[in-house]
Amino acid sequence: MAKVIAEMLVESVKMELPDVKTVRLQWPEGYDPGDFKTGQFITVYWPHKPKYKRAYSLSSCALDRGHYEVSVKRDGKMGTSIVDWVEAGDKLFVIPPTGRFLPVFDPPGRHLICVAGGSGVTPFRGFAREATARGLDTKITVLYTVRTTNDIIFAEEFRELEAKNPNFKFHVTCTRLAPEDPWAGRRGRITPEWVKSFVTDPAATVFYACGTNEMVAAVEHLVLHDLGLPKEQMKLEKWG
Amino acid sequence: MSSQVPADLRYAKSHEWVRLSGDVATVGITDHAQHELTDVVFVELPAVGRKVSAGEACAVVESVKTASDIYSPVSGEIIAVNKAVSDNPALVNSEPYAGGNFFQVKLSAPAEVDALLTPAAYSAQIGA
Repeated sequence: MAKVIAEMLVESVKMELPDVKTVRLQWPEGYDPGDFKTGQFITVYWPHKPKYKRAYSLSSCALDRGHYEVSVKRDGKMGTSIVDWVEAGDKLFVIPPTGRFLPVFDPPGRHLICVAGGSGVTPFRGFAREATARGLDTKITVLYTVRTTNDIIFAEEFRELEAKNPNFKFHVTCTRLAPEDPWAGRRGRITPEWVKSFVTDPAATVFYACGTNEMVAAVEHLVLHDLGLPKEQMKLEKWG
Repeated sequence: MSSQVPADLRYAKSHEWVRLSGDVATVGITDHAQHELTDVVFVELPAVGRKVSAGEACAVVESVKTASDIYSPVSGEIIAVNKAVSDNPALVNSEPYAGGNFFQVKLSAPAEVDALLTPAAYSAQIGA
């Protein structure tokens, strides 16, 4: 079968948070995903609403075969319907993966600094899964901003990946915790100084940002102006 | 990509534009906003007759990658909505300052328009 739009069965769902659900979409028999890559996004729509489409980054990776996974926040009509209603056995149409928000695994030895806000962390799950499964020496550092500890998506899975992969690090900063909250980690917004503290070899570092326009613009400014690096060392994904 | 900022409109910091005709303001979102949103796939408009205050969320625009509230830049009563844009949301991308407008407000506090951003100020905000 050629690489085409396909109707896919929802194989399973998992609530990651009260407002975030991971949906596993099963490839139909004979489906050819083509040369898709970790970090790309798929576009989905309901069989009865073909004009209403939403794009979601894959939270699975290119090594995961037989299905795609997307992790969807309750946002807009599609996000709300998926989080509140989708269950195993439902069907969605899927436009094949595309996009250039790709991890640089080749050449080896790069350091990928991945700045994420909220559900912007989903593509970095794919990055970490592939690098860990392949035993790559690529360093991946996820810097993740959330409001409170209740908003951390994939917390357990990222900790497991850290335990398996010495080159993967996951750092969280919380912006709206009550002062009396026992959280011992970092608090406050992502700052240029915090990001720069993880840069050891600027020439070998690739920066990624996925989140609000404001956060992505801040990372862009940091890379181009504060660090004076070329735009080729930066990949951005704005929510709009 | 540079965005169009027509000289005959006023702007809100939240990227809506206002075109004044007498005491009626037509409201839409800017070219810059539609670029940032990418392909618009859904628009939810307010009910005609609704009273809105300046800065109040009263419509929703959803693109392939995000959903955003649209805020009325001015206070007054919604006297008309653009059904063409809810039927064909892509108009927001193709004609942000014309067929892609959202609604019309009969102003209850016309001086609010003077407090909106000038084209030059809005251009400065978006770095155009």
